[in-house]
Amino acid sequence: MNIAIQCFATLSRFTPPDSASFAVSPGETAGQLAARLGIPPEDLKLVFVNGVHVELDAPLQDGDRVGLFPAIGGG
Amino acid sequence: MPPLMEMDEHIRHLAYTEQLPGEEARLVLSVEAAQELARGLGRSKAKGLPLARVELSALELGIAPERYLRNFNTYSYAEQARLLSARLALIGLGGLGGNALEILARAGVGYIRAADGDEFQPSNLNRQPLCTRRSICGYKAAAAAARVALVNPAVEFDPVAVFLDEGLMARFLVGMELAVDALGGLKDRPALLRQAAAAGIPLVTAAVAGQAGYVATVLPGAKGPADFFGADTLAAENTLGTPAPAVATAAALMAAEALNILCGRKPRLAGAMLVFDLEGMSFERVSL
Repeated sequence: MNIAIQCFATLSRFTPPDSASFAVSPGETAGQLAARLGIPPEDLKLVFVNGVHVELDAPLQDGDRVGLFPAIGGG
Repeated sequence: MPPLMEMDEHIRHLAYTEQLPGEEARLVLSVEAAQELARGLGRSKAKGLPLARVELSALELGIAPERYLRNFNTYSYAEQARLLSARLALIGLGGLGGNALEILARAGVGYIRAADGDEFQPSNLNRQPLCTRRSICGYKAAAAAARVALVNPAVEFDPVAVFLDEGLMARFLVGMELAVDALGGLKDRPALLRQAAAAGIPLVTAAVAGQAGYVATVLPGAKGPADFFGADTLAAENTLGTPAPAVATAAALMAAEALNILCGRKPRLAGAMLVFDLEGMSFERVSL
């Protein structure tokens, strides 16, 4: 199964080349995905799946759109 | 002007008919006439500045203050009147705050209390509209006051050139309808979130890093972005910076949401974040 990934701000350097259709295994969670992308756990503050905030243990489904967000505070 | 004529009669007398293409004719009170009438009024602490009172009276008579003519298919006369009577707290007068203030003042928000203890420095020139070769090294709050006076003298602007700690935030928010978080960095945002909740008012918040940013509305007691980001984290903008397009985008979205709320509509971003990335030109609304 495949998902779409968007990594924001400082996390964009972890965006995989095939981010529009990235293969994940059944049962893989948002946290496991972030680890596989090499994102340091302390840098990941918010995960959105299909426009809804989820916890790191949320399992991913085929076709999910995943957004990964670090802490941003600039003004 | 005859001294016994009431304000309403003066306004009716001075109003002219304006026909904009594709619209019905409307009665308009010119900027000049409104200012002239305001000069004849004393200042009343309870009711706002004289010019705002003239504009409010005109709106109640169904007469459009000329200054807001281009806003009237977005904000009705009644909504414009609510804006003129609104009380807003703006925290931060840097990139987000300076851009938002320009919009809020032009929209005719009647009372704006704004705090920033900072002085402008050269690294602000890339994005902060209040930072110019003239204002640099001066207080941001002073530059903001000068700008509001130039842009819209109907707005009562209360500048506070102080960094607010949590105790001062609590006092700063007393009597306000809405707080706008235009702070820079993460350090003070959780405190502002707590104090807006304690004051029982909504908080419109935004932040950027590089080309990315978000805008959100937090209702009292609800979770906001600052709850997830923390106060002590190394924030992304430290490496990515704060370029003007993202800052101005976030500020404009924040001002639009603030005006939605102040004119009496439902907050559109309550419990949600609008996240954007100007490099990929993507916008997405996500729920928290």
